[in-house]
Amino acid sequence: MIRFHPSAHQLKEFVEGTQSPAISLMVSAHCDMCEKCQRFVEIETESLAAQMVSTANDSAVDAGDVAFQFGDMLSQITQLPSTNNNRSESNQPLEYRELARNIDEHEHVGCRTIELDGRTFTLPRTLHRYIDKTGNWSSLVGKLWQAPVDLGNQGVANFIFMGSGGSVPEHTHRGTEYTLVIDGEFSDGLSRYDTGDFIFMDGEKTHTPKAEGKEGCLVFSIVDQPLHFTSGLARLLNPFSHLFFR
Amino acid sequence: MLVGIPLEQSNSTIKPKECATEMSDYLVAVADARCKRSFARVFNYFAPRLRSYALKQMGNEALAMELVQDTMSNVWQKAHLFNAEKGSPSTWIFTIARNIRFDMLRKLQNRKEDVCSDDLWPVLCEQTADANEAPLDEQVTLEQIGYLFESLPIKQKAVVEAIYIEGKSQQEVADELSIPLGTVKSRTRLALQRLKVMLNDND
Repeated sequence: MIRFHPSAHQLKEFVEGTQSPAISLMVSAHCDMCEKCQRFVEIETESLAAQMVSTANDSAVDAGDVAFQFGDMLSQITQLPSTNNNRSESNQPLEYRELARNIDEHEHVGCRTIELDGRTFTLPRTLHRYIDKTGNWSSLVGKLWQAPVDLGNQGVANFIFMGSGGSVPEHTHRGTEYTLVIDGEFSDGLSRYDTGDFIFMDGEKTHTPKAEGKEGCLVFSIVDQPLHFTSGLARLLNPFSHLFFR
Repeated sequence: MLVGIPLEQSNSTIKPKECATEMSDYLVAVADARCKRSFARVFNYFAPRLRSYALKQMGNEALAMELVQDTMSNVWQKAHLFNAEKGSPSTWIFTIARNIRFDMLRKLQNRKEDVCSDDLWPVLCEQTADANEAPLDEQVTLEQIGYLFESLPIKQKAVVEAIYIEGKSQQEVADELSIPLGTVKSRTRLALQRLKVMLNDND
């Protein structure tokens, strides 16, 4: 059961479109998995739309000029061709069209999933486009595997797989870490997390993520600063942590 | 000014609920019959509101008008994707505007390759199949189409060069060349269409 959600503030900024792209990606992927947040987003979207509609038209000063520009714009727009070339396609339910598009783009449905060690994981819709941008799996320490995801200028996210019993050495964060549990469960000494949970960690907390279930745990994670390992030999990793986790 | 389409200044007296039904019907008429009169009603109701919203959000008149134009163009071209069962016309149009603004801001920051609104809010799910503009700057580099680019008419070339190579906004180009913003937009569109045709011929 999902117990950890983005904050109301994070969800609102996501709906407004003012949240950073990388965090929007995490929030959106969480909403794919969480009906409660989906509903929140729907209601918030409706309310922002209502606000937009009730926005007073307060530009009396240049009203004439604006009206002229609008007239011009309207005639330009109505000269544009319709993109609805294929009526039969558009009459199909949205889900089919989206599926068709996905097949079009990638030519096979297989890329809604990623694989590791013979296991196949289905990803939330938002992350489908990033499958092509996911690098190879590499082994970190212990039972920990990582595959980097190129987000362009937004930096790098990572799929991290913790094999059963595998753990990330105790660490704190100089920046912030967002983690979405894609499949499985893990605990970190602070809480226990399940599939769909959205976890936000900042510099104040120290934690030791560990997969306890038999199946291991796949997460999608974004950090905006290298992790800072705090205990034992793992401290030796600090100079290199940016190589692992960025 | 377009003849035959009434340009009403304000429909603000319409109550929200009646308005949703009314606008919904207009959108269906646009989708089914390309009804320009219905589109004009939708446009006259939403364009000023979108503009105020965009002005508040972005604080820039040119960007605000660009947002209105892009949003309403999508409404005109993709009205068939509107589904009254899924939400009101204002919610649909708001999400289109929000997505365009999200992508505009990324473009202003020169971030082309990262997260795009279509991933987050797939409201216009045919967007990637849109033949008008998007594929060009995403898939083909200017080096690759350099020789095609050379064959563009001088005026179109100048506009495309300023926007796509020098990274200027359409408004800046309009100011520099002392031509209306609409002309910049149409030249850009024509140039991209022409390049697209040439690229298809080359395949």
